[in-house]
Amino acid sequence: MKIEFTPEQLALQQELRAYFEDLMTPELQAELAKGAGEGGGPEFRKALRRLGSDGWISLGWPEELGGRGATPMEQYIFTEEVMRTGFPYPFLTTDAIGPVLAEHADEEIKETVVKRILRGELVIAIGYSEPSAGTDLASLTTRADKDGDEWVINGQKTFTSLADFSDYIWLAVRTDPKSKKHRGLSLLLVPTDAKGFAVTPIWTLGVRTNATFYDNVRVPENHLIGGEGNGWGLITGQLNRERLSLVNHGSANMLYQQVARWAGETKCADGRRVIDKPWVQSNLARAKSGLEALKLLCWKQAWQMTEGTLQMADASVAKVYGTEFFIELYRMLLEILGQAGTLKRDSPGEILKGKLEFRYRVGSILTFGGGTNEVQRDIIAAAGLRMPRSR
Amino acid sequence: MDFSLSEEQSELQQLARQILDDHAGNDQLREIEKRDECFDEKLWRDLGEAGLLGIGIGEARGGMDLGFESLCLLAEAVGATVAPVPAVPVLVSAALPIERFGTDEQKQRLLPGVAAGATLVSAALIEAGSEDPSAPQTSAEREGEAWLLTGEKSCVPFAKSAERVLLAARVEGGVALFLLDPSAEGVRLLRQEVTASEPQFAMLLSGAKVDARDLLAGPDAAPAVIDWIVERSAAASCAMALGVAERSTWMTAEYASEREQFGVKIATFQAAAHRAANCYIDVQCLRLLTQQAVSLLHGERDASDAVTIAKIWAGDVLHRVSHAAQHLHGGIGVDRDYPLFRYCLWAKQLELSLGSSAERLAQLGERIAAEYRA
Repeated sequence: MKIEFTPEQLALQQELRAYFEDLMTPELQAELAKGAGEGGGPEFRKALRRLGSDGWISLGWPEELGGRGATPMEQYIFTEEVMRTGFPYPFLTTDAIGPVLAEHADEEIKETVVKRILRGELVIAIGYSEPSAGTDLASLTTRADKDGDEWVINGQKTFTSLADFSDYIWLAVRTDPKSKKHRGLSLLLVPTDAKGFAVTPIWTLGVRTNATFYDNVRVPENHLIGGEGNGWGLITGQLNRERLSLVNHGSANMLYQQVARWAGETKCADGRRVIDKPWVQSNLARAKSGLEALKLLCWKQAWQMTEGTLQMADASVAKVYGTEFFIELYRMLLEILGQAGTLKRDSPGEILKGKLEFRYRVGSILTFGGGTNEVQRDIIAAAGLRMPRSR
Repeated sequence: MDFSLSEEQSELQQLARQILDDHAGNDQLREIEKRDECFDEKLWRDLGEAGLLGIGIGEARGGMDLGFESLCLLAEAVGATVAPVPAVPVLVSAALPIERFGTDEQKQRLLPGVAAGATLVSAALIEAGSEDPSAPQTSAEREGEAWLLTGEKSCVPFAKSAERVLLAARVEGGVALFLLDPSAEGVRLLRQEVTASEPQFAMLLSGAKVDARDLLAGPDAAPAVIDWIVERSAAASCAMALGVAERSTWMTAEYASEREQFGVKIATFQAAAHRAANCYIDVQCLRLLTQQAVSLLHGERDASDAVTIAKIWAGDVLHRVSHAAQHLHGGIGVDRDYPLFRYCLWAKQLELSLGSSAERLAQLGERIAAEYRA
């Protein structure tokens, strides 16, 4: 057993940390602050192109697809450093959809889409959820019908995050109207400038997301990726990757350190430091002991992926523990900041740029996003403990 | 980064599990529990014959010198079977520091017998008034070359059958560590009945004599040695806790998968399945935190935070998993004809020994405050 990064992994971490400090220019930070950190503006696009030309986007792609073939462990280190900076890195575009397109799409799409993803020129939004198909995603009803050499799409998606500035939607549709559930689903790449496509905003507790509408949207037949009726496998494969970037130790640990530092520097009216109070120490200790478990779950998961031994239940354990702990962590840290913790970014008196205020406000999305935790617990009971399924 | 066991460790784990499983059946345990001292001497000797009691003991003294990670695999296997053998107090709290800090004479005298399963040694880490092992009230005074000890130690495992008991006492200039003969004059042993039925004793010392050759560490070295012992004892107790919690979880999953109510397996109720899933998550976390602490100690690296955090989790996980296991079993779980009750008892024993979660949390908080106070 050796539960620590290798010298090479530590060197990569340092290299990335310096790189992202340089990437996060004041202009970019100001632009992200205006748009609730979701990206999409010209500075964001500029930084993404730079990531592309510096070769970082292809880091985790297999060598045969033109990537650098980094191990999941190295990818995890990259993800951590990205999350620390707060740069809205489009992981789903670069690490979930990109490699799938590189593997399955034809030459034309590889030229027009895959190469541009690697250059940092494209952002793709995920179009899965529908008003009546959330956790039960396989019940989706948006359909695509073949008409000559085109697919004609009709339906509606909800929570299509990033769609307002994305170049494409990675759209889950039913291509066989007679099929039930996960059979007969396919994935289409839909350009957001296509006729019949429309976006309206949904304002959430935190960021903007979108409803997207498809009214006889036509795409060429080569925009169906991975074969007709093969959508479910691609969707579930991608959700597993999504969970990796959802639960991550680096950025949460940074928040802990920042609050601890703040509590160590800040004096109370009686001259004592905030950190001298026993209940503050208790909150920090609980935060640290929870973070330690999170760190090890993340490391183990990345290590298992590298070894090819990750089991279904393991990924669900990390998702459930991580997401539920994040919300507790934000609370424990905010309690230390006190009422000033409710001050939003750029308000007079803000602490830590309002980062915790924001995270706690939007945190509830974590436990149901990326596969709701009830379903994850079902998976743990069935796959981890070999208990009979509930249904 | 490597979370895997070496081939040697895997084999050793298999061997330990096999021997323990062979001895720790429900009927066998029930027989042992009828005895005055709940201790399976035959099993202990078998473990010794297989070399497993010598994992932490040097080859020159009949041991295998395989390191702390391997020793904790044995502790975990003991937890998983709740076998009535004193793996942590004898092998970790007492034999390990003798091996590491003892004189050649002490090692030669005591450790071959421990490795063979013929001799027990133990450690007295707490007192009635002070559970801080590094701040004993017990004191030692010189009498010629020897020492006379006065004070009261509590909860000393296997004190009556131990050849020597390692303990700390105040001396001029600080604290020293001694190897006390519990049958010496001036030592009174009072049997204490504890939750897990491990034989434990209060040791009343009134001028109990310790020979000069039985001084393990003087006041210069003793504080660091005590920390060394406490960290390893706590880490090994986390490994044992892991075995207890994991086996409880599996017993629960298996029971819920068989037990029918309302015409269905109760595992198919989400409320029951999710409670078991929570146990699974807890056990995974405890496993990783324990592995981290153990592996750092194995390499003689700084592990104070890692051990403290693992022990906080061990206490919490034992509490949560044990209660969930009892609850999902219903009445059968409290019935002494069904093996789960022993896991419940050990869970409580381990939870409250060597620093509870609340106490450890406070320690961690103080350390964080010292680190960040500007």
